[in-house]
Amino acid sequence: MSRRSSTREASEARRAALARRAVERGARAEYLAFRMAEEIYAVPIAYVKEILKLPPLTEVPRAPFDVIGVISVRGRIVTVRDLRRRLRLPEAPPTRRSRILLAELTPEQGGTGERVGLFVDEVLHVYRFADAEIESAATVLGSELAEYVTGIGRQQGEMILLVDLRPILGGAKTQTPAQRPVLGGRPGA
Amino acid sequence: MVDQRDEFISEAQEIIEGLARDLLALDASVKRKEGADHELINDTFRAVHTLKGLSSLFGVARMSTLSHHLEDLLDEMRLGRVELTPKVLDVLFRAVDVYGQILAALRAGEPEPARSVDELLAELDSSVSRPQGGSANPLAEYDLDPGLLAVLTEYEEHRLRTNLQQGVGLFVIRVRFDLATIDGALDNLKSRAKPHGEILTYLPSGEGGDAESIDLDVLLASRQSLDVLRTELAGPNVQIEAVARRMQHRAVSEPPVTTFGGEAPRITTPPAAPEDTSLFAPRTQSGKEGFSGTTPRQAVSAVMMEEEPPPLVDVPRPGLSIRGVAQTVRVDIRKLDHLMNIVAELAIVRSALSRITDRVRGAPELRELGIELHRLHRGLDRHLGDLQSGILEVRMVPLGQVFDKLARVVRQISREHDKEVNLVITGAETEVDKLIVEELSDPLMHMIRNAIDHGIESRRQRDDRGKPETGTIALNAYQKGNHVVLEVQDDGAGIDEDKVLATAIRRGLVTESETAAMLQRDVLGFIFMPGFTTKDGVDELSGRGVGMDVVKTNISKLGGVIDVHSELGIGTKMTVTLPITLAIISALVVVIAGRRYALPLASVLEALVFDPATVRTIEQREVMTLRGATLALCRLDAFFGLPRPASANSSIRRFVVVVGVGNHRLGCVVDQLIGQQDIVIKPLGKSLDGVRGFAGATELGDQHVGLVIDAPAIVEEILAAGDASRLLGARRPTGATGGEA
Repeated sequence: MSRRSSTREASEARRAALARRAVERGARAEYLAFRMAEEIYAVPIAYVKEILKLPPLTEVPRAPFDVIGVISVRGRIVTVRDLRRRLRLPEAPPTRRSRILLAELTPEQGGTGERVGLFVDEVLHVYRFADAEIESAATVLGSELAEYVTGIGRQQGEMILLVDLRPILGGAKTQTPAQRPVLGGRPGA
Repeated sequence: MVDQRDEFISEAQEIIEGLARDLLALDASVKRKEGADHELINDTFRAVHTLKGLSSLFGVARMSTLSHHLEDLLDEMRLGRVELTPKVLDVLFRAVDVYGQILAALRAGEPEPARSVDELLAELDSSVSRPQGGSANPLAEYDLDPGLLAVLTEYEEHRLRTNLQQGVGLFVIRVRFDLATIDGALDNLKSRAKPHGEILTYLPSGEGGDAESIDLDVLLASRQSLDVLRTELAGPNVQIEAVARRMQHRAVSEPPVTTFGGEAPRITTPPAAPEDTSLFAPRTQSGKEGFSGTTPRQAVSAVMMEEEPPPLVDVPRPGLSIRGVAQTVRVDIRKLDHLMNIVAELAIVRSALSRITDRVRGAPELRELGIELHRLHRGLDRHLGDLQSGILEVRMVPLGQVFDKLARVVRQISREHDKEVNLVITGAETEVDKLIVEELSDPLMHMIRNAIDHGIESRRQRDDRGKPETGTIALNAYQKGNHVVLEVQDDGAGIDEDKVLATAIRRGLVTESETAAMLQRDVLGFIFMPGFTTKDGVDELSGRGVGMDVVKTNISKLGGVIDVHSELGIGTKMTVTLPITLAIISALVVVIAGRRYALPLASVLEALVFDPATVRTIEQREVMTLRGATLALCRLDAFFGLPRPASANSSIRRFVVVVGVGNHRLGCVVDQLIGQQDIVIKPLGKSLDGVRGFAGATELGDQHVGLVIDAPAIVEEILAAGDASRLLGARRPTGATGGEA
């Protein structure tokens, strides 16, 4: 009985401390970090619904350039996009560490509500950043990446690029026709 | 909370649909000058009454107010104080529409449409007309037992009077009921008596009966003869007597029975003859609450009716079969989709089990276990199949749901156009997938509007052409293999091909020289072009040139095709062919560049071995000759931009799958034919919306997803890519089966 109450006290004290720190630094948010082409990226974990091992992938002819195929998740067909193609990163073949993040942005969050798979090379762990700890990306990165990267977080000497999922999962078509390789051949050619 | 609202909406929807059906039936009986069916009026009254209760329970204020007013109107109507005129029916039909608007607003989370409700309420009052010259109380002229009259409710009295005026015979059925089982037994008697007439009331007879039983007198108005009733309603404690007429010197003329339009018989009743109606013998004591006392009923039943009216043929009312269904459950279709997904998952488990079974059976020391496992596997297989077809069956609903709505549309539009139109429906019981039914109502509505507006001529024109003044629109549905065929046929003016061609030339869709060799089918195909209209004026309903292209788009979205056939001066027939279900289709699984794809069999005509030697190239397009006709070819690997495996060489045998969409054909070159398979088509995600050529995806086993090829889209794309149709002689006037690419 006494132990339980002391635990509660401790946890309350911790919560109070956290709250104080949150006030000092701004609210903290959790980010899921993953590796792509030797760099570390992260997305708000609230948007990630599930992490999958790589199931058989079916390519879709004439699809947007960053769509690498569709998979079946418990009977539902899910489109898989390759973030590396959006971020212009070199592509390596999948390894046993490759994963698919099932992410979803509701219309209120600037998405379409569609659950989309994001191909990543490796899932790392969860980082917590307060807004004050996030550097603006615009000063560091070229304008091309800036479209997809909201900011940079640093922790334990690592630089983590925080990816904005809105242009990727959002309803607006972000790719221009010029970016898209011609996949559909003309008939009878 | 949201669930409750959904529940309310769907329940209200159901009641409103039933109300609309009853109104249509009432409309039909008024048109036949039969007089309103009192039971239908009663049903509409009950429907509105239920709506009133429901809506006030859920705080839908305007709906409740509207229902309240309608209830008053219908109550007066069933008491015969308000006449059922076409004008009143108009208002009632409007009420159905307003109810629909209210529900739509609720669904969208918007406030109730106040204005349309208020307008309707104002109209309600102005449209009501009361019967003229109600010469006091006609019942007072009859020598009826005042005691009986005293216990009749106003409605019962009204019904009694009406029946007497119509010369319907009166019968008293005396039944002894066991008090323990009286509820069930009485219901049973009521339902048995119902087909023969109307039960006006039932009262304790005041005679007989003891501690365990009671005698009831059931007053039945019927056109049946006493003998028929005695046979039909025979039972251990049942006595039936006819209530006599006072005057015996006057013969009642036999009411002639005529048939109308081959359907419902029309009953002409003899004119009411006050001195000729039956009477009740004085009844010393009566009352629903009085269980004792004697009634000298014998005097009444002693005199028989001198002439029996001919039996009334039982007329099945439209919609009756749908209405009577009590044991149903409303299910959200998404739940069925979910079940379908589970079945698909189970199928994957089953195939894994099948592999294990094979391995076990391969091991000699596990032979018996293997046999057992095999038997279990077969059982699972069978039940899984049953489960799948069971779920599919649940998704099926009769097309009658849409047809009822269309009947309302026909009534409304024909009145607005002042054209007399008779809608003849066949095959309303044909079942299709719920989702298809929902998507069908808009296209069908457009087609019917077109038929009334453009098809059916004005009364005078019809008269000049020697056609009956009333135009006919036939709506036929029937099943044909795995498809449902819907026909909308009118006996109107038909489509003027010359006019269509002139418009097409004016709009630059075709040159004059090209038109010479066009088939009727190609000419009529122009009416499906966006914005195409031959009508000069634009009106509220159609003729704005929107419609037919929307119809075609919607139908093709459902995997269906539409065909037009028209004869000038005789009429137009539109035929829509649809798959029965969207959930499961048969497909041909093919391999293209090492990848498996499914081609829905609905669009596959045949498959043959590809012979590269027969291929010719016309204007950079590959074609081959098939049974004397030119067939455009599409190498699907190149079309999809799939790299060919390096090992592939031209010497390997390949195949041509001939797909047909409408009147176009295309030969798709594939590498391999795997076989036919029933597949569940699943939609591709929103992010692939812009990708044309695929209708969805399906699981082909082993977690492997295969894309389902959208043959109509590919054919259309290839045709759009160049004027292949002209090039390949699609419009050969002979109309041979081939050559239409």
